Amino acid sequence: MKSIKNSIGLIIILSIFLGCSDVVDFDPHDEYQVTERDYLQSEADYQAMAVSCYTPTQWLNQVIVLGDIASDNAVAGGENASDVVALQQIDDYAILTNNSTLQDLWLSAYEGVNRTNYLIAYKDVNLLGNTVNFEGKEALYGEVHFLRAFYYFNLVKMFGDVVLFTDHKLGLSDFGTLQRSPKAEVYAQMEKDLIHAISVLPTSQSQQGRITKYAAQALLGKVYLYQEKFDEAVPVLQSVVDGPFSLVPNFDDIFLLSGENGPESVYEVQYSNGQPYYNWGGQTRGQGNYAVQQCGVRGFNGTAEMPYNSGWSTNLPTQDLAAAYEDGDQRKDATTFDVEAYATNNPSLNVTYQVAPYKNTGLYNKKYLPRKGQTSGQVELNYENNQRTIRYSEVLLMAAEANLRASSPNQALAQTYLDRVRDRAFGDENHRVTATVQAIWSERRLELGMEGDRFFDLVRTGQAADVLGSRGYNPATLGLFPIPQREIDISGLTQNAGY
Amino acid sequence: MITKFLSFLILLSTTLAFSQTVNVKGTVKDLESGQPLIGVNVIVKNTSKGASTDFDGNFNIDAVGINSILVFSYVGYQNQEVMVLNDQPITVMLREDAEALDEIVVIGYGTQKVTDVSGAISTVKSETIENLKPLRVEEALQGTASGVAVIQGGSPGSKPTVLVRGIPSFTGTDPVVIIDGVPQTLYDLNSINSADIQSINILKDAASTAIYGVKGGNGVIVVTTKGGRNNEKTEFSFNAYTGFQSVDRKVGLLNASEYATIINEGSVVSGGNLIFPDISTLGMGTDWQDEIFKDAQISSYTLSARGGSERVGYFLSTGYLRQGGIVGGIDKSNFNRLNFTANVDVQLSSKLKFIINTSYANIKNQSVAENSFNSILGNAINFDPTVSPYNTDPNDFASYGYSNLLLSEIFNPVQRLEDTYNENNGDKLYGKLELQYDILDRLKITSRFGYTKWDQASKSFSPLAYYGPNNVSSDYNPDGTVKTQEVDNGDGTTTIIPSFHNSVTERKNSNFNYTFETFASYGFTLKDNHNFDLVLGVSTSKSTGNEMGTTRQDVRDNSWAWADISAATGVNTKLNTNAYTGYSFQYLERRNLSYFSRVNYDYENKYLASFSARRDGSIAFGKDNKFANFYAGSLGWVITNEDFFNYDAINFLKLRGSYGTVGNENVDPQYVSITIGGPSYNSTANSNGYTFGTEFVSGATVNSFNNPFLRWEEQTQYNIGFDATLFNNLSLSVDYFNKSVDGLLFTEAPPLYAGTSEPVKSNIGSTESKGIDATIGYRNSSVNELKFNTSFNFTTSKNLVTATNKDGTAFIAGGSYFNGQSQLATRFEKGYTPGYFYGYKTNGLFQNQSEVDAHATQPGAQPGDIRFVDINNDGIINDDDKTKIGDPFPKFNIGWNLGFDYKNFDLNMFTYASVGNDIYRAYERNAQFTNKDRSILNRWTGEGTTNDAKNPRYTFADTNSNIRPSDRYVEDGSFIKIKSLILGYTIPESLNAGFSQVRIYAQAKNLLTLTKYTGYDPEIAGGILDTGIDRGAYPQARTFLIGLDLKF
Repeated sequence: MKSIKNSIGLIIILSIFLGCSDVVDFDPHDEYQVTERDYLQSEADYQAMAVSCYTPTQWLNQVIVLGDIASDNAVAGGENASDVVALQQIDDYAILTNNSTLQDLWLSAYEGVNRTNYLIAYKDVNLLGNTVNFEGKEALYGEVHFLRAFYYFNLVKMFGDVVLFTDHKLGLSDFGTLQRSPKAEVYAQMEKDLIHAISVLPTSQSQQGRITKYAAQALLGKVYLYQEKFDEAVPVLQSVVDGPFSLVPNFDDIFLLSGENGPESVYEVQYSNGQPYYNWGGQTRGQGNYAVQQCGVRGFNGTAEMPYNSGWSTNLPTQDLAAAYEDGDQRKDATTFDVEAYATNNPSLNVTYQVAPYKNTGLYNKKYLPRKGQTSGQVELNYENNQRTIRYSEVLLMAAEANLRASSPNQALAQTYLDRVRDRAFGDENHRVTATVQAIWSERRLELGMEGDRFFDLVRTGQAADVLGSRGYNPATLGLFPIPQREIDISGLTQNAGY
Repeated sequence: MITKFLSFLILLSTTLAFSQTVNVKGTVKDLESGQPLIGVNVIVKNTSKGASTDFDGNFNIDAVGINSILVFSYVGYQNQEVMVLNDQPITVMLREDAEALDEIVVIGYGTQKVTDVSGAISTVKSETIENLKPLRVEEALQGTASGVAVIQGGSPGSKPTVLVRGIPSFTGTDPVVIIDGVPQTLYDLNSINSADIQSINILKDAASTAIYGVKGGNGVIVVTTKGGRNNEKTEFSFNAYTGFQSVDRKVGLLNASEYATIINEGSVVSGGNLIFPDISTLGMGTDWQDEIFKDAQISSYTLSARGGSERVGYFLSTGYLRQGGIVGGIDKSNFNRLNFTANVDVQLSSKLKFIINTSYANIKNQSVAENSFNSILGNAINFDPTVSPYNTDPNDFASYGYSNLLLSEIFNPVQRLEDTYNENNGDKLYGKLELQYDILDRLKITSRFGYTKWDQASKSFSPLAYYGPNNVSSDYNPDGTVKTQEVDNGDGTTTIIPSFHNSVTERKNSNFNYTFETFASYGFTLKDNHNFDLVLGVSTSKSTGNEMGTTRQDVRDNSWAWADISAATGVNTKLNTNAYTGYSFQYLERRNLSYFSRVNYDYENKYLASFSARRDGSIAFGKDNKFANFYAGSLGWVITNEDFFNYDAINFLKLRGSYGTVGNENVDPQYVSITIGGPSYNSTANSNGYTFGTEFVSGATVNSFNNPFLRWEEQTQYNIGFDATLFNNLSLSVDYFNKSVDGLLFTEAPPLYAGTSEPVKSNIGSTESKGIDATIGYRNSSVNELKFNTSFNFTTSKNLVTATNKDGTAFIAGGSYFNGQSQLATRFEKGYTPGYFYGYKTNGLFQNQSEVDAHATQPGAQPGDIRFVDINNDGIINDDDKTKIGDPFPKFNIGWNLGFDYKNFDLNMFTYASVGNDIYRAYERNAQFTNKDRSILNRWTGEGTTNDAKNPRYTFADTNSNIRPSDRYVEDGSFIKIKSLILGYTIPESLNAGFSQVRIYAQAKNLLTLTKYTGYDPEIAGGILDTGIDRGAYPQARTFLIGLDLKF
């Protein structure tokens, strides 16, 4: 008996010491977690990862908002002076280096860079050293290269010289090792990416919103324009002008739900409420377009037939912008929405609303005014309005400008393109103006008002100090926003002038 | 001297009377219960003659000399001596010796006599637990155990903040909980019935905790439940109490007329119109606090049986607790717990003992949204007081009153309360199987399998709601139809579908964890006086879990009665892919392997020493860093046992010192994960997937960085202290401790250009905590009818983050709240206490424009606005001027216990004080039309009216951002609470109808709170970065109880 009991005790002890060496080994597969070594093993993996290279384009919607608020086109309204402080600073040209909107945009664009870098790094072989080939891989990578250029373009136009890296997604050992590169180098990388993309992309895609060859050419044209490389811009823009696009006769229709991805659309950042997830911890990061809610009229109500939802009145067009339109220009009402006139002109709708509590202009951004039935879930964050990023009319205006400013100008072609834009705007041919560089710049403001280009146009064309000086614009900043203070603290980057 | 002389006389007399002997018979009983005591040792003094009592408490000794002395001794009872005078049967009543029981403390893998302990250990006695009747065990630690800081929450069953000696770690501050030798977590303390607890020991210093290694750095709470008593008749006890809880105090808000006046002023000042043209009809309006605070019942019943035979001991218990919540009342907010416990030990053979402890708890609860501006309480504070709770206009579709001013975010709290539907139902089975094998006399092997199984099913229902025609969150049109939307079919046509659906969500989670450990303990003595106690063992543990959930839309009748996945009718279509959805995930499988050893030594109970070593392995770290060694040791010197020490005033004095290290593994294993599918809700909102046209397409992206160098966080602690007993009655115990953490596991600050992948944890920081724990107690030992005892506990700790990363850029901001802007009010940052309040300092109000002009540039400032302090003196007020504006953790805590016994009455009062803890008031939503705190009536209205930064001018256009995080919102949360006052009466034996004990009592909890804080309750529990942030936290209730304790 005794020996049995002794041996029981011994067995208990031994059983624990045996086979315990691997007790504390960890295998992520035990939790069904997919690690990077498991991924990029099939075409589907590559396709899925390419999809998420698009995702951060949705997070950049505030670039559009500040592109107008920083200019003479719009003001940051909101509930009061302490509402949307980050946009107020931009509006007032009193930008602190820790501006939360700018920090988020910097971060978002770099997430895009890291995602595209990662996929490009494993193009030929994956982490296990295997090659995964599939039909359309080159074209798929064309989209990825376009997106990387798009992220860098947004960075450069906001911040000037930025941190440039293209070979991999950053990891722990890279932290703090990188500094800013001259923007010329960043532009050169964009050109390289876009030229490669153009060489492999198809002219049309079966899925709406996928990057086409035309989108890449249009962006490359814009990149050239920003560098004043007009001779290079002319041919690349010409191929888009000659593409399958047309101007929508009724300007207002472009911005309706039914107008999305329409005949005038060269590149649109896609949003939806079909998968209405949202996250108040990352308002701009859902599938819906956060910027739409910002445009809405506060307390906007009426009968069931009244088509608009209320919003936050944080991006208000100025009377200055409205006054820039001539009589008969259909773009005026399609860009600046006069809520008082709307209420008066539509008595049957029983319209009620709250006057914008701060910096009221009486006007709202009609292009992205929140509409009933176009959001769901957390209604504020799920508007499905696509961002019309590059429209055909802009391509015409870019082509006109490039032709005028090229080393051998083509005035006639420029005139034709400008006429097409103005003819559509007025619905007749009686409002044509001579195509001068200034005329085209002015036309850009009217055509693209509240689409986020104004401030960057003023800066790139050297007009910012003249036009915005009276509003408090500081020329010492050279039209650049401050590098986020947090990045300077962590990575030791230099700050832009004027901050 | 006198006693010696007397004993000499007695000895003399026995010798003289030696010739006369008698046979002595008698019975031994428990003084309190009157139950016979089995197995009591009866010895004739100074002889080897003796006997022990039988099953009926009887004993019999032959041939005992007249005048000899019988000594009755029994474990846990005071010895008693009785002189034999004749042969008449004698009855001896033994008194339970609380002190004697407390002499044993439960340490890691063993017990130790308290006088032999050289580490720092606090003890909470069972009588304290019986007195306080805690709902959760932690309540009994608050102010009763020195070195332990407890901040309680008010929501029924909620987990409090428990800090043992400060805040050393960032990744978690919960102490380890050991129940009967089995590691558990603080969360598990909600399932234990406090009536089942025998004692609680808190191990505080490295020497005591090191043997528990992993996470021991946050302290160890050792809970010992009641066990069987061998050779004792079954003692039944029944405890019941019932009572009601109510809110202690309300927040001062504006009534309807005052509200309308202020809103009008705010509008007019900023250039707008009168919002309320006629104030005269508004009257007082609705005080929403009155509508949602409800008195709630609380009842508890416990029945237990305890006893045993020679070989089997048992403790059986069952209990039921039902506690209602005061926010919303018992129908919406409650905590129900049903317990069964069986602790059985069996002596299988003379050497082999088997112990099985099994407890089952069923926990059901319902809860309301809390601690945010849009919680039930937040709505009550902020909602429009001119609205009535219910709508009475038959022509209006609304059933509840609604505001035409507040059109989003803040809703009628009564409606929100009534639309709250949820229930959680959890089953927990926990306990241990243990074999103890005595190989030699003092060599024992123990093998123990401890486990916890926790399964929970939850259900919640979100009905469709109508908040009035203009509210953005109304799911209905004013005519009662559900709002619709037009969707693009992708082929040029559109379809109209409902925009909103009600939905029911069901979740099930299942968790299992176990610890299997085997250890040998060996005690031996060398050369008579050198006592050794060795422990050597190995431990493995594992925890696993998973969760599944389903949501389905379209619940019949929009009603909770039909809210079940099986009865809902939602079906996914191309146009609505959210009608029927589900998810599942696995919790991290955590595994540990540890080897441990300890030697305790004492020489003549005079010189004490202890040394422990432990090797810990964790799944959390990389291949090369999985294992780490931790050592600790302590020394003690009992000066009063020295021959040279002879001061009568000092009965006992022990000096103690300890030093050692413990580890922390509270991080997840690190690897580069890929997120596939829709959004990722990681901490950086790293979302995923894209829409092409109208079709959402899943994506995949890298979700996290990787740190292959991650290793154990190491905490080093030293402790010096002493224990003393003075004048027989006064006990004193004081400790000073210093903890420092090296290789603090902290979240890296990745460069922003590295993107939004989840940041890694690294060993990049360090912290330091130091403080003093002290206990002083007095118990009068007089045999008067009036007995009296009192004790004070003092706990303090100073915490400092000494580094986060090399340049201090890694910090974590927390304490988020929303007052129109998302604000962060706390930080874990180098150079400050963890979780300190971060914001602007104020310096009164600008009285006129020249004061504005004279001050540093503060954009938008006008007379009447707050003057913020230019901390860095750069002439401009901006974020760089933010600084420390408060500390949520108290400078010190004091617990004071006072007890009286007079004849059959007993009175006990427990008072708790927290001094120096600040509160950040964050429950005001601060929208134009939300209700306001009454302090707005003292606002600045012109030069010289007030200079108090808490009362700036009132305007809709707050150009100065007076609402930014600042010390305007920081209040002193110091408080004194009478936590418990209890008056009991024990019915005299002659009247108690066959019961061995009958006691009735009345108790008040949270009877009185003295504080300057203007909110509900200055105790705001939460994580380190949320403690003290009052977003409308659920206040603790004031409770009145009556109860009955029976023993039979």
